[in-house]
Amino acid sequence: MILQRRKMNAEVPSMAMGDIAFLLLIFFIILARVTDDSHVKVNKASGEELEKPKSKRVSVAIDTNQITYLNGVRINPDTITAALYQPDAPPGQQGLLGDLPPGQRTVLLKIDKDTPAYLFEPVIEAVSKAGGELHHVLEEKK
Amino acid sequence: MKLRRQALLTEPPASATSDIAFILIIFFLVCASIQEDDGRPQEIPNSDKERQSKNPIRVGLERDHIKLNGDTMAMQVFEEKLATLLDQKVNEAEKTVAVRCSPTVPYGRWMEVTALIEDSGGTITLMRKVQ
Repeated sequence: MILQRRKMNAEVPSMAMGDIAFLLLIFFIILARVTDDSHVKVNKASGEELEKPKSKRVSVAIDTNQITYLNGVRINPDTITAALYQPDAPPGQQGLLGDLPPGQRTVLLKIDKDTPAYLFEPVIEAVSKAGGELHHVLEEKK
Repeated sequence: MKLRRQALLTEPPASATSDIAFILIIFFLVCASIQEDDGRPQEIPNSDKERQSKNPIRVGLERDHIKLNGDTMAMQVFEEKLATLLDQKVNEAEKTVAVRCSPTVPYGRWMEVTALIEDSGGTITLMRKVQ
């Protein structure tokens, strides 16, 4: 007598897939909010012949309430230079720009068009001091 | 004799949940990445004494008017005179334009004027009162 081998059930449990995908969704949303500054409200100034930035690694923003942000996190404008570049710190802890070569040291500046000079000039100066390459984010002039 | 009512099936179809969640992930990722960051690059030289011009062109920027080397003028006149001045300069260091800005000038106006200076061939340096 030949005994028939019992078939193995190799089906992937589909009930868990929804939960996994949902957790992934939450994870990506939180991650996206931490690294970008899309939640910062800025009315862009206008300009002509706009270019795409070389890098989007670092952004400094001043919103409609005149609050300053570094990569979407609120920051005291006096500490921007140190946060971007500290030449005396050990390698790996030299700030967001660290030892990046020229051409990759782009800092996006998203400044509300009504921000007064006494607030945005120190920020521009701080980025420049840290060796950042300024890229003003603007909207095309109509 | 009592007839037992059959229980209704209330469980949602689980197989579709993963597809819905996956489409949601794609949607949010695409939404996050289409935010435009187009703009203008700007070079503001460091306070390197050797690169600085001893006698730069001076621009005074106020909320409602503009000064070129101390003379108040209309925007159109400023544009023409600045272009003439920059054309007369030979080397890059001489093309430095020192911008002194009133504290209340809004960023939109500052950007407009500095873009005009750069388009005319000038290199901007900021002049600020040290507090």
